[in-house]
Amino acid sequence: MKKRVLAAFLSMAMVAGLATGCGTPGGGKSDGDSADGKVFRYAVNTLPTTLDPTKGQSIGDNEIQHAVTEGLTRNTAGDVKPGIAESWDESEDGLTYTFHLRKDAKWSDGEPITAADFEYSWKRLVNPETASPYAFIGDCLKNGQAIEQGKMDVEELGVKAVDDTTLEVTLEHPTSYFLSLIGSSGQFAPLRQDIVEKYGTDFAATSEKNVYSGPFVMTSSEDNVWTFAKNDNYWDKDSINLDKCELNYVENTDTQLSMYEAGDLDYVQVPTAYVSDYKDKADVFANGNVDFCYINSKSDNPVLGNKNFRLALNYALNRNDYNKLANADTYTAFNGLVFPGLQAKGTTYGEAYDLNSYSYPLDGDQDKATEYLNAAMQELGIANASDITVEVVTTDADSSKRIVETLQEQWQNALGINVKIRQVTYADIYGKVFPEHDYEIGYGGWGSDYDDPYSYLELFKSDSSYNYSQYENPEVDQLLIASQDEPDTDKRMDELNQAEQDILADGAFVPLQARNVYYMLDDDTTGINFYYCSLNIDWVYADVNAK
Amino acid sequence: MAELNKEMFTIKGKNTQRMESISRPSLSFWQDAWRRLRKNRAAFVGLCIIVLYALLAIFAPMLSHYGFSTMDPNAIHAGPSSAHWLGCDATGRDLWVRTWMGARTSLTIGLLSAFINMCVGAVVGGLCGYYGGKLDMIVMRIVDVLYGIPSLIITILVMIVLGKGITCLIVAMCIVGWIGTCRFVRGEVYRLKEQDFVMAARVLGIPDIVIILRHIIPNILGMMVTNLCMAIPNAIFQEAFLSYIGLGIAPPNCSWGVLAKEGIQFLRIHPHEIVMPAFFICTTMLALNLLGDGLRDAVDPKLRGTE
Amino acid sequence: MFKYVVKRVIAAIITLWALVTIVFFLVRLMPGDPFTSAKLTKEVAANMRSYYGFDKPLIQQYFTYLANLLHGNFGYSMKYTNKTVNYIIGQTFPYSADLGIRALVMAVSFGLVLGIIAARNRGKKLDFFCVIIAIIGTSIPDFIMGAILQYFFGIKWGLFPVAKYLGFRYTILPATALAFYTLASVSRIMRSSMLEVTSQDYIKTARSKGLSEFRITFKHQIRNAIMPVMTILGPTVAAVLTGTFVIESIFAIPGMGKYYVSSVNENDYAMILGMTVFYGFFLVLCNLIVDIMYGVADPRVRIGKR
Repeated sequence: MKKRVLAAFLSMAMVAGLATGCGTPGGGKSDGDSADGKVFRYAVNTLPTTLDPTKGQSIGDNEIQHAVTEGLTRNTAGDVKPGIAESWDESEDGLTYTFHLRKDAKWSDGEPITAADFEYSWKRLVNPETASPYAFIGDCLKNGQAIEQGKMDVEELGVKAVDDTTLEVTLEHPTSYFLSLIGSSGQFAPLRQDIVEKYGTDFAATSEKNVYSGPFVMTSSEDNVWTFAKNDNYWDKDSINLDKCELNYVENTDTQLSMYEAGDLDYVQVPTAYVSDYKDKADVFANGNVDFCYINSKSDNPVLGNKNFRLALNYALNRNDYNKLANADTYTAFNGLVFPGLQAKGTTYGEAYDLNSYSYPLDGDQDKATEYLNAAMQELGIANASDITVEVVTTDADSSKRIVETLQEQWQNALGINVKIRQVTYADIYGKVFPEHDYEIGYGGWGSDYDDPYSYLELFKSDSSYNYSQYENPEVDQLLIASQDEPDTDKRMDELNQAEQDILADGAFVPLQARNVYYMLDDDTTGINFYYCSLNIDWVYADVNAK
Repeated sequence: MAELNKEMFTIKGKNTQRMESISRPSLSFWQDAWRRLRKNRAAFVGLCIIVLYALLAIFAPMLSHYGFSTMDPNAIHAGPSSAHWLGCDATGRDLWVRTWMGARTSLTIGLLSAFINMCVGAVVGGLCGYYGGKLDMIVMRIVDVLYGIPSLIITILVMIVLGKGITCLIVAMCIVGWIGTCRFVRGEVYRLKEQDFVMAARVLGIPDIVIILRHIIPNILGMMVTNLCMAIPNAIFQEAFLSYIGLGIAPPNCSWGVLAKEGIQFLRIHPHEIVMPAFFICTTMLALNLLGDGLRDAVDPKLRGTE
Repeated sequence: MFKYVVKRVIAAIITLWALVTIVFFLVRLMPGDPFTSAKLTKEVAANMRSYYGFDKPLIQQYFTYLANLLHGNFGYSMKYTNKTVNYIIGQTFPYSADLGIRALVMAVSFGLVLGIIAARNRGKKLDFFCVIIAIIGTSIPDFIMGAILQYFFGIKWGLFPVAKYLGFRYTILPATALAFYTLASVSRIMRSSMLEVTSQDYIKTARSKGLSEFRITFKHQIRNAIMPVMTILGPTVAAVLTGTFVIESIFAIPGMGKYYVSSVNENDYAMILGMTVFYGFFLVLCNLIVDIMYGVADPRVRIGKR
């Protein structure tokens, strides 16, 4: 009899679970209705990895920090305005900056923001014990790199709080983009030593375990929704229009689109698959990412060490067709290395230098490709093109798969060589394959954290950590080193451009595309900014009209 | 009624050749099963579909003048037409050819991994169940441990360690896949060997191997065949799931899982790209299910000779 | 019964230990490294490795991990900095469990009903209809099913919310999508099991005793036919709870599946181990419960002896 009672109980419990339907975790939350005032709702498809400003390592991480922290300056889509620093002095040689901080700047808990908060934060960034994945961004500070590598004490870092409102910063090289960099990278935000030490390894694990210096405070970080509310202690709160912002993590981009169409989101990135059908409704911005294939010039495969063969690969590719097939024409077919939207010589880099005059034609050149291939085969003593096999490595992401499949098709058809594909995980490609040069050709990309061509060109500097191609060209190295100490910014830009031309002339890599993001924005929402360095969407100054 | 007398009969003598014969044609076990399977209309339709798909998978890509990886910038997302019977995908590849190339992969994976799983599981489970003792204890402990590990995670880990490709996929799916069959066969054999007919055979001094082959296997074959037919769709599903999370087979090869995954992105604007793979996955599953049901009835010795 | 439970618990602990050991060393065989990003320099990667104690010998790391595990501590995630695996599981598991239980209840109750209806109407149109539903259920992969349900019921007809998990209305589509496969297999098994039971002697006896058809069906047939469904329930519970990844992704439900699958892709060692141990524990628990329920439901089964 007991057993029957138990059985009855179990089945009743199961039915109850279905019928009541009140047990949904998080069921009590609002849907984000307009009762909360002006609310902006959007979604991302990758999870933020951390809420600790120092340890941020993705665009998504930094977009959050851009809203909840305030650096010495504030960079809004390339426009640099004073932030916590009211004003600053720059030394003649461009190596020393003295920042004068606002006296009225406060943390969200009411404490004043002092120069010491910046000194603490920046030292924490480069300190090897912190193990910040983005420590390298502190390389621009004096001794930053040496400290990061454990060769120097952290106290040697070129940052010093002279008094509560004066911060003195010494740089390693003159860095023209320094003010822009600290205004867009959360890693340079101030930190409260007492808060960080109070929570220890749990610091910023959730929204409550931190205090905020920026225009917004984070009110919740649970259930894949991050909510932000206007910070009443922010020094410039009158410029802020939104009352709340809600960031949803929605992995599936089709679902994001559906949510936008159902009115659950105010902003959505159109998934690549749908761009062609939404082109008239959507707007577009370039996010500063350029994609290309690394060529491992010192791999076991001798053809890749041959300049003519590398050029043949480049000329064989019809980048316009490629872009249609692999990217549904949503990106821009691209034949250079430096993102053309960067600021240079008072205009953009793409305006200042005509890429097509020194790079491969976007439509490819079959004759030249054959010519280079024959020259390469002659030099290497190979009789048939079909004897050549190259392997392209890529991640297992869907989009990269299609890109590499397209390359395979085009190269096999145009050159008559064999192309194999190897797919590995993301952890593998950047953890082992690229750093240990265990590949022949590899699909990858780059986006810059600061508004300067150097970031892209550094990939081909022989002693750079990111030189996955093992490319060595003394002239390029020399140009890059010279550019670091060149005080004349226009001349420096010419040097950098010359380096790009040299790299392209060597066929050191295969440029493919510059990325665009198609997005749709609710008609009532205004004031959203887009940027191409370290963050994409900047909703700090957004405004939503009451419906 | 006439009297019977001797003249009415002639002596034909002994026909030693026909003495032993039985009037009804003697049917082997498999002939009988085949006969019954043919009579089961649903199962027979299932079998025909499987054979048809297998033939198409072998010949359709050969007969088409499109390559399965040939891209055409002018046929991106082309709908079904006389040139492209099932339309084209996002890179202008012909979906008719890709569907049947995908069928090759999916059916191979399904058949092979289900078959390997069944063989390994049946042998191990059979030995354990029949002989018992220490062997049984050790193997069952191992099986218990493996059973406690989510099979998905093991499959994924093994896939990542081994890399991509059909062989790796099959190995990864078989590492834990045989456990179900093993547990089930062991239980059945355990039960059967206590039954009277096995006892009788044993008392008569029939060697173990004959008992296993003639008495035990026919009795569990029905269940095993059903299991096999259910395992094939499972394997195809699993491949589809692994493709969905990006761990399937190496490009530019494709499978139904890959096609479904690529197609589902275009559900709203180019539905033809998802409808076809979904249709073929569905009908294959349907056919295998019908065939499995039919086979179960066909090979069950308890139903033998009844109709 | 008590002895049996104790025995099973000990076996479960050994299983879990073996599981931890296998997975601990297996993840180290995975190609790649947990600390990866396009911009990570070698020096920084080395700093991070020593931060997480990877510079120590592997065997020492193993025992440290076991010691932490005994305190119920799964350690810190390597990808989601400053978050413990315990915290992430605590945050996400309720969602997966909620979704899973709803799907399971739906699958079992509707599956049983369909199976019974089909069996009672064997060979008629209703039977055919039930069988077709069952076959469709087992032949559409869940990512297609989820997307189709979402498109038609969520977007086209606007009957249910498109995504997220904020209340009862939100749970219907994902639970249905998840339930379909199990529902179909439950109904198939129930149908054939019912048919088998119908020809048994005790049913004939009951009928000859003049019992009402209702009583025969409920008291004798279903009670005996339900056994095979019970046996598949253990693995099914685990499969439903672990198989929510695709559905969670499509319906933007903040469950565990995403972390589980992506931790493997990202080589987040602590997370893979933590989640696997957690799930393993769950799986063992489910099997145990089902075994006990089996004993409860079937008076003939005396589990204590074989």
